[in-house]
Amino acid sequence: MSRGPGSPATTGRSVLFALPAVLPVLAVLGVSLTAAVLQSLGLMPFIGPPDLSFEAWTGNTGELFRATGLSLYIAATATVFSVCIGFLIAAYVLAMPRMGRIVAALSAATIPIPHVIGAGAIGLLLSDSGFLERLLGMPDAFPVLVGGPWWIAAITEYAWKESAFVALVVLGSIARSVGELCDAAATLGATATQRILRVVLPLAMPSLAVSAVIVFVYTLGSYEAVWLLGPTSPEPLPVRAVRLFGSVDLAARPQAMATALVSVAVGAAAILAGILVLRRVRGFR
Amino acid sequence: MIPTLQPASASMRRTLPGGTPMRMVLGLLLVGWILLPLVPVLLWSVAGSWFAPAVLPSSYSLQGFSALATADAARAAASSLCLGAGVAVTATPLGYLGAIAARELPALPGRVVELVLLAPLAIPPFALVMGVNVALLRLSTPPFAGVVLVLAVTALPYTAFMFRSALATYDHRFEEVARSLGATTSQTARHVRLPLLAGATARAFFLAFLVGWGDYITTLLIGGGQLLTLPMLLGSAASATGNEQLTAALSLAIIVPPLVLLAALTLPASRNRRK
Repeated sequence: MSRGPGSPATTGRSVLFALPAVLPVLAVLGVSLTAAVLQSLGLMPFIGPPDLSFEAWTGNTGELFRATGLSLYIAATATVFSVCIGFLIAAYVLAMPRMGRIVAALSAATIPIPHVIGAGAIGLLLSDSGFLERLLGMPDAFPVLVGGPWWIAAITEYAWKESAFVALVVLGSIARSVGELCDAAATLGATATQRILRVVLPLAMPSLAVSAVIVFVYTLGSYEAVWLLGPTSPEPLPVRAVRLFGSVDLAARPQAMATALVSVAVGAAAILAGILVLRRVRGFR
Repeated sequence: MIPTLQPASASMRRTLPGGTPMRMVLGLLLVGWILLPLVPVLLWSVAGSWFAPAVLPSSYSLQGFSALATADAARAAASSLCLGAGVAVTATPLGYLGAIAARELPALPGRVVELVLLAPLAIPPFALVMGVNVALLRLSTPPFAGVVLVLAVTALPYTAFMFRSALATYDHRFEEVARSLGATTSQTARHVRLPLLAGATARAFFLAFLVGWGDYITTLLIGGGQLLTLPMLLGSAASATGNEQLTAALSLAIIVPPLVLLAALTLPASRNRRK
């Protein structure tokens, strides 16, 4: 076999292989971001001549900032809950042989459920006189969860779907190594709590951090749950962008694009921050 | 999808703090957390009338499912199926090619290919669609083709990752042995590589299918209401009040087929492993 990796023939063939995969991604991403920037600046209007304007960026900064802050709150809260519950599921699955297998299978089975279904289901569960309120005997003090001021139903939907994802990632990365290390720690006299905090948690840290970044970026840009389960105002970034995008007022287009670009930028910043933190913490590459 | 777990060792069984009752409670809480949102969906799908504060429906009927037996719903199901299949058929081979290229290219270009294939994960889907929509309109792309293109790009990170992790443990010596025994390149591909990568291909295909089958926002923004899929029907049913039966029946119609497909894909594999 003369065609080892790195030989010119292999490299040429690999480039040919890479093109059909890389070109559509570059084309869609490139066209999308370029068109979004141009449209946000009025240089690519739906009708009429192009006219450079920063109105979409500077005109309603208060609303744009509020939408960004709200999106950050929802994504951050959903990420914290997803990571904590996901770790709990993973620890349980690793520790309990029989019941753990059931929890692992149920948890993995929720992963193929689309978010729009999850949002519909959480709506039926948490809405006013929904299933949970009925289960609790219709207490007077039942808070407004769907459409309420704290976005609890939307955050619950993200935490429900994404905790299963976090558990899957953590289990996939530590299931092989954790048993022996826990045995060693137990032999050296570590208590159960110490084994969880000193062995399982540090071992799971890299996969928890990576999945936290993925969950954060995903929830930041996800539309379905905040649209179905949140109040109509204030609006997080995706809801604002989609409303402006679908508006009959064509002047709203540039604002929709500016909103979309802000969420791209916030997501990119979160990914960069995640990479920096991971590198610093563990010399992670 | 479901990771293979090693059975917990004796001391791992005692890893969780607290005694047996606490562990039981934690287990029940976790099962409750996972299943509770699905209980009202199941109940509403077969409920006739169900008024608050009743915890269970007062009568049962199949009106939710019978509301699905319309021409619109059938067309939506067919569109969803085509969309899922279209995305899977596009993104699976592209993911394979990308993963092969990332593996065989020298370090730096290989890294670049990997990064490009992961990049769609970083862009919120609605933002991706909004920008690209103008170009699709100017090129007068049919909505279905536009949605498949954008969703295939969205699904590429998943399919490429599946093949990437399968290739990481792939033993090339099998192919070398086949070649030295006189197999042609195409015979090697068909009889050696294809069976060895069948699992990864099935997983990649499944994930990409899900991206198309369950998509809401891309279909909404590019399809502009012309492309009617099951999630679109669900979105309009769930956003209005008083449609609980239809919402629940539609949810099940969207959840169950992929779960059956997943079971069909994973059960034979786990049975083989046990043999």
